[in-house]
Amino acid sequence: MLPNLKVENLSCVRSDKAIFDEVSFDVLPGQNIEIIGSNGSGKTTLLRTLLGLITQDKGEIVWLDDAGKYHNYRTFECLYQGHQLGIKNLLTVFENLNITKHAKGMSQEDIYKHLERVGLSNVNEFASNISVGQRKRIAMAKWLLKEFKIYFIDEPFSALDDTATLLIEKLIKELNAKGCSFVITGHRPSGIEATRVEI
Amino acid sequence: MHSSLFDSLSIILKRDLMIAFRRSSTYITPLIFFLIVVTFFPLALGPQESLLSSLAPGVIWIAALLASLLAVETIFSEDFRDGTLDDFFISLEPSFILVFAKVMIHWLITGLPILVASSIAAIILYLPLDSFIPMLLSLLLGTSFMSLLGALGAALALGKSAILSAIIVLPFSVPTLLMGTSVITSSLNNQDFSGFLMIMGAMLALGIPGLCLLTVEALLLNYE
Repeated sequence: MLPNLKVENLSCVRSDKAIFDEVSFDVLPGQNIEIIGSNGSGKTTLLRTLLGLITQDKGEIVWLDDAGKYHNYRTFECLYQGHQLGIKNLLTVFENLNITKHAKGMSQEDIYKHLERVGLSNVNEFASNISVGQRKRIAMAKWLLKEFKIYFIDEPFSALDDTATLLIEKLIKELNAKGCSFVITGHRPSGIEATRVEI
Repeated sequence: MHSSLFDSLSIILKRDLMIAFRRSSTYITPLIFFLIVVTFFPLALGPQESLLSSLAPGVIWIAALLASLLAVETIFSEDFRDGTLDDFFISLEPSFILVFAKVMIHWLITGLPILVASSIAAIILYLPLDSFIPMLLSLLLGTSFMSLLGALGAALALGKSAILSAIIVLPFSVPTLLMGTSVITSSLNNQDFSGFLMIMGAMLALGIPGLCLLTVEALLLNYE
């Protein structure tokens, strides 16, 4: 089985300071990578570099295409969730999920089902009125809209209660079984099965 | 691919218009600002028809220009803060579409209300009825170009002071101001104004690809 993403000796330097240095890993279908580091260690920068938002100073990022060839540009769509989660305060919980590209063609019932799955029942509440933990649950519901080959999630376990943590672990396991991979970051190892990369 | 691009464009338009209508200050503030500025002139100069009518092209255009810059800062700032901007750059579709959609939304919530209010402004300033159509045409082209310029200014000033984007944009808006006022002045003097409109049309035609692409690059600088 070929890795969907190969990262080799990746380094990023800003203002003569190495944000991260010589990072290497492969993302195989259905397997996870957990990037562990303290605050300010460059975890978010690494995720953004992998996705092409920031240019690396050294190293290679290559993506597998459907024909089994590797390219130095992204060949498939991924899901990225940073700290901000991409949630609009002036939209309701339902609208935040429904008015997205990946929800196209889905019925209201499908959206409600996904929201229910992540434990959200206040679907008509404006996102500005809900807690950080509930916002994270909307973000989790977005994972269910479409199956992506790789999900890049920045600190998925922060600001969550035990129930939500268990739910994330369950969702990741389910998506792994379908061949989806997760590249996540965190301050310490989480409960999910993953290859740990320390930066 | 084409339907996917159209889907992305329609989703951004639907979502942002919904948000703009829920935050009414977004479209009401430029409109009120425009009308207040225009109303100040008859109050300050007195109701002399010939004076107000000769000043009308400049007054309408300066008020329109400043009003359209009021909401410039908001074009990308919210998307940048809440992480939506990341989604656009990570999707495999051209980021040009995002910028174009944001420009269209800015025009719909600032340019279009100004266009409608300009008829009231024209009545207040005793602009002859014959000059209404040239005025509307010049504002249609000019405010659209201002939205494109505004997007570039907003991208360059992202995360910085709100007034900075307006300061970046103002010097570049001089050609639009000159052409726009020339259209109305020419029509007031019964001269041919089509040349000025053509130049404004050409600026817009070049601005759509050129300024949108520059805006994409300016936005990406914020990630480095």
